[in-house]
Amino acid sequence: MKDIKKVLIPNRGEIACRILRSLERMDITSVIVYHAVDADTPAVLMADEKVEIQGVTPVSAYLDVEQIINACKKTGADAVHPGFGFLAENADFARRIEQEGIIFIGPRPEVIEMMGNKVAARTFCIENNFPLAPSVTLTAQDADFIKSVKQIDLPLLIKAAAGGGGKGMQIVNEWKDLETAVQLAREEARRSFGNSEVYAEQYVEKSRHIEVQVMADHHGNIIHLGERECSIQRRFQKIIEESPAPALAPELRKAICDTAVEIPRKAEYRNAGTVEFILAPEGEFYFLEMNTRLQVEHPVTEMVTGVDLVQLQICVARGESLPLIQEQVQTTGHAIEMRLYAEDPENDFSPATGQLLAYQLPSGEKVRVENGFTEGMVVSSAFDPMLAKLIVHDVDRKAALEQGIKALKDTLILGVTTNTDYLVRILSHPSFLAGKVDTDFIPQYAEDLKSPTLNKEELNMLLAATALSSSEFVDPAFKVPEPHCFLGNWRN
Amino acid sequence: MQRQIDLLGKSYTVTITGEHGAQQFQVDDDKPCPAVLIDKKDGHHRVHMGGKQKDIQMAVKGETAYIHAFGRTFTLDIVDPVEQASQKTGKGSNSAMAPMPGMVVDIHVTAGDKVVRGQDMITIESMKILTVITAPRDGKVATVNFEPGKTFDKNDVLVTLIEKEDA
Repeated sequence: MKDIKKVLIPNRGEIACRILRSLERMDITSVIVYHAVDADTPAVLMADEKVEIQGVTPVSAYLDVEQIINACKKTGADAVHPGFGFLAENADFARRIEQEGIIFIGPRPEVIEMMGNKVAARTFCIENNFPLAPSVTLTAQDADFIKSVKQIDLPLLIKAAAGGGGKGMQIVNEWKDLETAVQLAREEARRSFGNSEVYAEQYVEKSRHIEVQVMADHHGNIIHLGERECSIQRRFQKIIEESPAPALAPELRKAICDTAVEIPRKAEYRNAGTVEFILAPEGEFYFLEMNTRLQVEHPVTEMVTGVDLVQLQICVARGESLPLIQEQVQTTGHAIEMRLYAEDPENDFSPATGQLLAYQLPSGEKVRVENGFTEGMVVSSAFDPMLAKLIVHDVDRKAALEQGIKALKDTLILGVTTNTDYLVRILSHPSFLAGKVDTDFIPQYAEDLKSPTLNKEELNMLLAATALSSSEFVDPAFKVPEPHCFLGNWRN
Repeated sequence: MQRQIDLLGKSYTVTITGEHGAQQFQVDDDKPCPAVLIDKKDGHHRVHMGGKQKDIQMAVKGETAYIHAFGRTFTLDIVDPVEQASQKTGKGSNSAMAPMPGMVVDIHVTAGDKVVRGQDMITIESMKILTVITAPRDGKVATVNFEPGKTFDKNDVLVTLIEKEDA
């Protein structure tokens, strides 16, 4: 069995902090690589050792395989935990790491490659009789693509073969939009993944996104840790996830989870992974994709199962057998994750930038906060606009929802536009409360989810506050904080 | 003292008169009323205005106030009248402005091209998401201000259209 004494994290932000906490609990030395723009971030301050990496852009530094390998050699790291994003699903990176005799905390490179190419993953499912959406899969390598796509019924989705995270994805409702959608998807795919191959798939309307957390060791043992409901999405990206999935019949839950375990078993998968499904309104479910890494929303599973997934990943990477069998996986209560994004829900969720003038996140025994920012930091367009995740856990869904709303209301972020209030409106929506969720939720309830309009008096309150806070507007000598203001202008 | 304050795309003329503790606040030509702002620390403030009060959360940077109140967050800009006049040229329907910071990926028009409202003009990438900026009205392209690969900030003018010709 291989020992792991020092783990290097080629990542940043909240996920780097998340991994660092498990390493600390396990008494494993941590190393983080960082670009200069991240020098003062919590992750860099938390790590035992740090190595600066360079790049034309900050993102390119985190994608520079050779610099990361050099950092491993320099610090004597014996394993790498990639987190998610950046190099987490880069098979060449996993291969290079292992060539250097360093442990890659993740699956085999061949499986990353197969599951990473959505066309290859679909072929694998067809060959092994796993359920796939009723659609034709075509790859766009030639001019016939547009013509061939018309064999599929509308609406359809154009997806990147190398896709993930909603990137390179376009929905087509009318044939006239097809060509532009294909072009945009190809271009976005090329830029995001270095591969412009796209395919078309029928879009199952009113469907739910249900995914299953799986964990496999090197000895053929494989378990699932329950499902997550991830239907609340905008731009094909999740913003609220929960476990267990609401209003899911026990037999259906079992069928989905059992299928989820068979897919990685057949693929001789190991380490943590997520099998994603589309659940149609009639109860059929179809394989969507498998993510060969830790997932952003993994904390909801950890909250209900009490399992530390990062710790399990490290144990498995050491060659240990899974410490628990399927029957030992027990869930308690209900967990919900809310992703705080620097974005403007009033403006098509476009990313927002700025300085975090106020940044107060909630705390409490029922709230878990995964965060990589502090007050005063600048949110730039260099990275993904996710700021933090709030995860709440309580005895049942209703109680968890109340905790979620409270956690969001205890959050104060000023200086950068965020989706905090928008998330409150989703959690308070009658259909959400009733567990009636599907991937059309956000467009369907767009009107209900709009922010409240202001009356004249409210508007004037805002104008007055702004005017009276301005040093230029009013004499700065009069800006006296409470309680001094009641003492006139006296100050010591 | 009088200033313009921009809120939700509209501009208001705000006047503050009087001494501290007895200040009068006026919006446009409305009736003036007394207003007081109390700083309650950590971003919390209380506004007293015309006999009413409201607790808000606010942070100020330069001449911009960020306020959380009434279930949403607002950005209010105090505009210098001189600066405002110089900015006017970049706004309005004669230009396509960047909705967010990012990089130009592709340009679909060149100076002199006739465009119709909604026509693709420029593809930008921001936070790895591609967006197509379209023509705000029918017209003719005057200038394309960025080349592919160049980065820009929010509200930078990406493409300008020739001033409306008389019909």
